[in-house]
Amino acid sequence: MKDRNITLHINGEAHSLTVTVNRTLLDVLRDELGMTETKYGCGTGECGACTVLVEGKAVNSCLTLAATMDGKRITTVAGLSDFGRLDHIQQAFVDEAAIQCGYCTPGMVMKTASLLAKNPDPSEAEIRHALEGNICRCTGYEKIVKAVKKAAQTMPGRAAAVEPCKEAVQ
Amino acid sequence: MSEQAIVGTNAPRVDVRDKATGQAQYAADIQLPGMLYGKVVRCWEHAHARVKRLDLSAAAASPGVVRVIGPKDVTPKRYNSSVLDLMVSESMHDMLGDIDDQPIFTEHVKFQGDAICGIIARSEEAAERAAAKIVVEYEPLPVYLTAEASRAPGAVQFTPEKPGNLAFQLPEPMFPNHALGGGDVEGAMRDADIVVEDAFYVPKQKQCQMEPHAYVAKVDSGGRLTCWTSSQMPKLVQRKLAKLFDLPMNLVKIVPTVIGGGFGTRLGMISEPQACAMALAVPGHPVKLQTLREEDWVISPSRHPGKYWMKIGFKRDGTPVACDARFENYKGGYYLDASGTAFTAGAWLGGMYRFPTLRYRGESYFTNQGLTGAYRGYGNPQTNFVLEQLIDRGCAELGADPVEWRKKWHKGVGDDGWCPGVTYPSCALDQCLDRGAAAIGWTEKRRKYARQEGTIRRGVGVAVMNHTSGAMPMLLEHTACTVKLNEDATAEILFACSDMGQGSHTALKQIAAETLGFPFDHVQLSGGTSDVAGFDIGAHASRTIYVGGAAVKKACEEARRQLLERASLQLGVPADQLDIRDKRIFVKADPARGIEAEAITRAGVYHFVDPMTGEPGGVPGQIQGYVSFFAPHNSPPFGASFAEVEVDTETGEVRVIELVNAHDIGRAINPAAVEGQLEGGIQQGLGFVLSEEIDYDAKGRVQNNSFTDYKMFGPEDMPRITTILVEDADPIGPFGAKSVGESGLVSPVGAVANAIFHAIGIQFTEAPITPEKVLKGILEKGVRDYASIRGNR
Amino acid sequence: MSSRTLPEFDLLLPQSIPEAVELLATHGGRITVMAGGTDVMVALKFSQQPAQLPEYVMSLEYVPGLAYVLYDPAKGLRVGAKATVADLLESPDVKQHYRSLWDAAQVFATGQVRNTATVLGNLLRASPAGDCSCAIYAIGGTVAFQGRAGRREVDIDDFWISYGQTARQPDELAVELVLPPPAAGTHSAFRRLTRTSEDLAKLNVAVQLRMSGETCVEARVAMGCVAPTPLRLKQTEAQLCGKALTAEVLERAAAAVAGEISPIDDKRSTAEYRRQVSGVLLRRTIRQACGVA
Repeated sequence: MKDRNITLHINGEAHSLTVTVNRTLLDVLRDELGMTETKYGCGTGECGACTVLVEGKAVNSCLTLAATMDGKRITTVAGLSDFGRLDHIQQAFVDEAAIQCGYCTPGMVMKTASLLAKNPDPSEAEIRHALEGNICRCTGYEKIVKAVKKAAQTMPGRAAAVEPCKEAVQ
Repeated sequence: MSEQAIVGTNAPRVDVRDKATGQAQYAADIQLPGMLYGKVVRCWEHAHARVKRLDLSAAAASPGVVRVIGPKDVTPKRYNSSVLDLMVSESMHDMLGDIDDQPIFTEHVKFQGDAICGIIARSEEAAERAAAKIVVEYEPLPVYLTAEASRAPGAVQFTPEKPGNLAFQLPEPMFPNHALGGGDVEGAMRDADIVVEDAFYVPKQKQCQMEPHAYVAKVDSGGRLTCWTSSQMPKLVQRKLAKLFDLPMNLVKIVPTVIGGGFGTRLGMISEPQACAMALAVPGHPVKLQTLREEDWVISPSRHPGKYWMKIGFKRDGTPVACDARFENYKGGYYLDASGTAFTAGAWLGGMYRFPTLRYRGESYFTNQGLTGAYRGYGNPQTNFVLEQLIDRGCAELGADPVEWRKKWHKGVGDDGWCPGVTYPSCALDQCLDRGAAAIGWTEKRRKYARQEGTIRRGVGVAVMNHTSGAMPMLLEHTACTVKLNEDATAEILFACSDMGQGSHTALKQIAAETLGFPFDHVQLSGGTSDVAGFDIGAHASRTIYVGGAAVKKACEEARRQLLERASLQLGVPADQLDIRDKRIFVKADPARGIEAEAITRAGVYHFVDPMTGEPGGVPGQIQGYVSFFAPHNSPPFGASFAEVEVDTETGEVRVIELVNAHDIGRAINPAAVEGQLEGGIQQGLGFVLSEEIDYDAKGRVQNNSFTDYKMFGPEDMPRITTILVEDADPIGPFGAKSVGESGLVSPVGAVANAIFHAIGIQFTEAPITPEKVLKGILEKGVRDYASIRGNR
Repeated sequence: MSSRTLPEFDLLLPQSIPEAVELLATHGGRITVMAGGTDVMVALKFSQQPAQLPEYVMSLEYVPGLAYVLYDPAKGLRVGAKATVADLLESPDVKQHYRSLWDAAQVFATGQVRNTATVLGNLLRASPAGDCSCAIYAIGGTVAFQGRAGRREVDIDDFWISYGQTARQPDELAVELVLPPPAAGTHSAFRRLTRTSEDLAKLNVAVQLRMSGETCVEARVAMGCVAPTPLRLKQTEAQLCGKALTAEVLERAAAAVAGEISPIDDKRSTAEYRRQVSGVLLRRTIRQACGVA
């Protein structure tokens, strides 16, 4: 079968569509749904510009077949902001001057979201380890690391969520 | 430290909310009705070949294909995708000769990735599938990957204009004996007590901007060609495309898109000619041309690699007496800006130390490597790797402290800068060296690491650099800027120079708001499209704040002058006794007396004559400030970097522990943005010296055109960073600012190499200094304490 | 085709193991099996020759019951075909009992890839550089295949045939990896050398040692990037067995490694360098396993 009917739950909204089975999730989001906030940077899963959350986990949408995503919950960077109101991660990236050219930013923000969901109080080493797989060529990562720290500190409901981190990074 | 309210603050970036939410529109994000998709078919098998046969028919019949165009379907005119030819005077242009050597589609493949033909289809996928059906037969030609190979007698000539495949050498009329500098170098070298000399190799580094190049082009019913591009130089691209396609400039419109990183790669054009040729083949339909990462890698110009010889003579007391150098760089298959780096590498050399005699020769040879062109630093990291290591070798021989030696011998205020005759108006390099040394603990660590035991050795190193703020007087430095005051006393500024993500538009807005006396949020700054914005050469040579900022400031001063003049009439106080703050004009000596700016701007636009009295209600006319600005200088910035490294003597691995970047930037308009430039620069500088290099196989095919195979420093590799902004206002730059865009990358290169030397007593002449090279050096030469080197004993 | 466009193929989406096995029995070698897909997708994108192109891609996405990481002190660790590298990291049992594997998983690729890539996929890729493969080789274990005829278990020692080739038959589905429970006194460690932190290894080593007091009574040593497949260093193991791991013993073992490996020059390093540092990395890995920094 070269086409399949699927339903993607993207940023809380269901999209039913027919996709050719060899299309990546990235291309379906960008070309068929017009959701261009997720970027193509390398196509080989190295740069992380195409990072989205699938069922809460960060994945490279360039290495994901759309046809295998039927029924899945997908979050893109546009799903974090609410009619122009930035969420705490986006706001932290703005406040810490962690955005220059901005092309890596959607992926960086999604990677941060997945990190903080698992580890609400990461150490600097844990942040740096988590950000491997998201390439930035502008900032030297310095201000991005600061932004992730700030996002952790400003996470809504933080006091309740924080528990001692479980695994130390080597 | 200042009286300014907006300049010097971390004003919020104007573009980042859109970028944080994914709303920023890069070229690849553009969707237009009726859009078609282009694909350039490239030669992947060969780096040097002639096209014997090209058959487009099978591709043309492929599903979804609209048109296929080859060399015979496009203009036979050639172009130069770089822009140096538009930025030099006519006499200099004559010296360069005919440098238009690039066809839109080629029949002589000169590098892997050269364009063969183009496909226009209804989807990108259809275009790609059709591309696989193009039939090309090649006649392979000998592949030349080095200058030695391409200048050998009998080698295939890349262009009849450049015999011996010598694309460029410093031209005789301007540089006697093809050399920059002066004095009797050989005589001085004979009189030197200590001479250090070596042959180096500097690597080919890739910009790796995160956004692959993408374009949209369209020809409308009036025959006007519009091109959406992320070029750093929209106005020069407009002229280039007009010339290539024989169109008057008013029929070529450039729409600048959000730029996903530049670092030099977007200087001039890359695939705009192919995108526009496709659009011209299907009038009425926009054509989107997106490049793939692996494609972007081979077609966009990279940093110039090559051989770099240098020899420096010193007197026993440390006095430098002579410097002799030659940089032989490897161009790719086309000329581009062959004159640029070959010259500037020597210019940065000449601008650094007070060598009484200097001879620098720079040459560019065609090769079948991928194209080379502008990359952040533009010859400077190459020179830094060579010069700064030899200075430290000299210091070791002399027993001199590398910081003290540099403080004594670097050039400063009043000395000639990189261009002879253009002197330094400001220099705070001593402060950079002092503050950087203190931050890294120089004195203590130099002593401590001079004698070590064990497998893991540490070292600290220093390097300094100079750069430029704009390219005056070598290149055109022209920016036009218009500021318009709206009736509610808000300002709208039109300024064609792109923001590549460095935050220049935010800083320019700060300059404008400060100058006008308006709140930051009441000023808008737009790059505009080429048909509305005035002339600007574009973002290069770290010029945007220094030159562009001066232009914005001047245009705003003009608007402010008009505003104050009108207020003066109302208040009955001379204009020079008035000031503006927060849009309120007031008498300096009596601040309670004043008038709102809005009262004047509104009356200028909504101007009525009182029907009862016949009296005009204020001065009529909308206030606009305009300037066509030519930079009077290039106020170079300076910088000092300090690196601490750890060398694993069993594996050759080098870990950078700390990097202190202290830079004399004149004045930080937006300190967070300035820090961002210096921090980002470090990441690229560390890559140059330790990990990054494009590799080719013997056939000239790139071996590592992906992030899997070409490794940059990631978040875990980056050292602890300390950024020191040395603010000593330049007398010329706007609010004292000098440039910062390129500087941060340069001196980390020499600092890391010198820290390795300090740690294990070995210098490495080939960058990047990989563990493989370090271990080889250790096995051949043995680790030795820095303290055991002659001059230190 | 390119880093954006995949070649054309039919997608098979079985809903159960028997269905997947039936599809494999029917279409056999014309199927490329995809679990996480991080390797398969890249390979498909860049497949040049029509001969390399599969007619079918079979995704295990909708096959339930394969995403487990289960530890039993008596039986050891069972890792299902869809268990990801991230799943290993989430298992305290893996961290406690198979430290070398946990350490390899920790530095494996990137967070996104760890979230998707499967442990079995890393074995089946049969790359000499696989970090998890290296660690698993030193631990020992079996891979279970399911075919129409039933289940077949292959010892990890017999699993890799050549570069990119494993003992899996075209009509078999790899369903599970089983690692034995560590005996008392077992210590393991994994180390690697890379160009930058996030990279494929230029050299990786894993060791598993069983110590009785000061004496090493059993040793398994695996090294990657030094042969067409991950390599077990049996001579080196013999040098360690029955001895107290003194500095001299480690030096002798380290010195012997270069004779047992056949590295090549590639994009990440040189044969010469790999020979030069193989012993150093081995010595450091053994010391790490023994808890000596």
